[in-house]
Amino acid sequence: MTAPAVPAGAGGVVVARRQPGLLRQILRRPDGLAGAAILLVFTVLAVIPDILTGPLQTAITATGPRLAPPSVEFPLGTDELGRSMLNLTVHATRISMVIGLLATLVTVLIGAVLGIVSGYVGGRFDALVMRIADFFLVIPTFVLAIILTAIIRDVLGTGSREIFGIRLSLITIVVVIGITSWSSTARIIRSQTLSLKERAFVDRARVVGAGAGHIMRRHILPNVTNLIVANAVLTFAGAILTETTLSFVGLGDPFQPSWGQLLDAARTVGAPGLGAWWYFMPAGVGIVLVVFAFTLLGSALDAILNPKLQSRR
Amino acid sequence: MTDPAAIRGRRQWPLPKLADPTAPLLLVDDLAVRFRMPEGSVKAVDGVSFRLDDGEALGIAGESGCGKTTTALSLVRLLPANGRIKSGKVELFGIDLVPRTEQQLARYRWREISIVFQGAMNALNPVRRIGDAIAEPIEVRLGQSRDASRKRAGELLELVGIPRQRAAAYPHELSGGMRQRAMIAMALACDPAIVIGDEPTTALDVMVQAQILRLLEQLRRDLGLSLILITHDLSVIAETCDRVMVMYAGRVAEEGPVRRVFSAPRHPYTQKLLSAFPNIHADRRTLDVIPGMPPDLRNPPPGCRFAPRCPMAMPVCTEVVPPEVRFADGVRVACHLYPTADAATVAVPATPARGIGT
Repeated sequence: MTAPAVPAGAGGVVVARRQPGLLRQILRRPDGLAGAAILLVFTVLAVIPDILTGPLQTAITATGPRLAPPSVEFPLGTDELGRSMLNLTVHATRISMVIGLLATLVTVLIGAVLGIVSGYVGGRFDALVMRIADFFLVIPTFVLAIILTAIIRDVLGTGSREIFGIRLSLITIVVVIGITSWSSTARIIRSQTLSLKERAFVDRARVVGAGAGHIMRRHILPNVTNLIVANAVLTFAGAILTETTLSFVGLGDPFQPSWGQLLDAARTVGAPGLGAWWYFMPAGVGIVLVVFAFTLLGSALDAILNPKLQSRR
Repeated sequence: MTDPAAIRGRRQWPLPKLADPTAPLLLVDDLAVRFRMPEGSVKAVDGVSFRLDDGEALGIAGESGCGKTTTALSLVRLLPANGRIKSGKVELFGIDLVPRTEQQLARYRWREISIVFQGAMNALNPVRRIGDAIAEPIEVRLGQSRDASRKRAGELLELVGIPRQRAAAYPHELSGGMRQRAMIAMALACDPAIVIGDEPTTALDVMVQAQILRLLEQLRRDLGLSLILITHDLSVIAETCDRVMVMYAGRVAEEGPVRRVFSAPRHPYTQKLLSAFPNIHADRRTLDVIPGMPPDLRNPPPGCRFAPRCPMAMPVCTEVVPPEVRFADGVRVACHLYPTADAATVAVPATPARGIGT
């Protein structure tokens, strides 16, 4: 053949017309853009709370008056110990976001691995995994989460030990969220895998001599990545809500202020009765905004990734 | 430019240990394939025999559902889960592949016999680059490093006429012809002795079809490949193959050198098939249609399977399976029109002489 002798990677590379990247597609849509913008703000808060509001205040380092309404010095008021609510809320953002992120990773990891393997391998393994998944889908998540938290706390202990620099109590919550929410991800990924494994390219790979592991990793996984991402977004919102609820009913870690923890503290102190709205509003608004942002992103992703909703071209 | 010698030299590795160097490349004898269906067993392939020599191209023709693809795929046992080889021999270099276990057989797949699948778009993973797809058999079958297999994938792309820079492209970024070329490159990845083309040019426009056929022709010459071309398009076979095997309802109707079979078809089915095909040189005329449908293979007619549709059917046709009659010009026909005694030679079920066209 008379292909020009151009070294690979040098000039003359044929640039293929490509669909714009997923991120760009998301940002083009108003819902995607809004969701991403809100999340960006909260991510910044979560990453650099110390720079924005100083180190986390404790009962000892608290400087303000008790339960003071918002003022110039304390824009969001103070709590019953005189700590700045702004400081607490921003630090709580970090904890909530970290738990949300870790729980999402755990959930999606379990869900994707079990979904792909179960769908591809099939047979008894599939039946077993799916019955377990059904169990978790049917049992009310929150009741199960409360029970599991208590059990896992017993097993792991409640001390201030740390694993990988994360307090044990947070890990407990992450594990609980992971256990209770992997099943829907697994089911979705499995159903997609079932249809993918019938496709000709999987047959071809098998003929060529690829093993099951190779096919799952190199053929199925890249094809369900979109699905995993879309699922992760929704799982993230759910994880933050679950964490909040668990903390609110007192199953969180009182030394780690998360949004749920703040709401719990507000309830304990009786902030609503005292009219101290600044105690619970910031955390509440934070939760609502983050969950809303993830929902917006989720709907944007759904519109982009779901071919049935697509009306491009 | 790629050094052709890097790819040529068909046997990059020695023959399999059990191989008999004097044996023909591929000898299929009395192959029978059954599909288990809820309604009963389907005799998809019933007593098919043929031979393929080094560098030869065999075309398998016939209408849909006559067992062309099943015959070819059963050579390396790539049948659907409900399909089984019931009896017969598939000898590659004199090694019978039928009794091999799945694991033993894997050694022959792609390394000795590879396949160009129909519908390149479906056979390529939409989210993987074609370079990686072509490198895959080299990696998993030959156990070569990622870099080495990528490099060879580039060479293979150039061999089939795609600039190696296009290895980074995704399937949807290539034209239909390019995708088919990529599929051919993939089939050549492990330097096989036999390439099976399963409708390799179907769904391509005529110009691209001609290009692909020319490419196959050229590769066969340059690499010393043997080809098995499955198609319902007789012109494709006429253009590329040395010999043609016309199948009907799971059996061989007629087999022989392409020129002999196409210029003087002996089996009524071959005659009908050819007259159902437009001829650019002949006068304008209405095309023939073969009335009726191929028989239900769960319960095929007892005698000749074509008898119910055959214009020349005789009483004996519906009762006795016609034996294969071999003629002096290398054609063998399974039809009662040619009694064994009248034929120039005795009936030989397998191993016809090599085609005139080679």
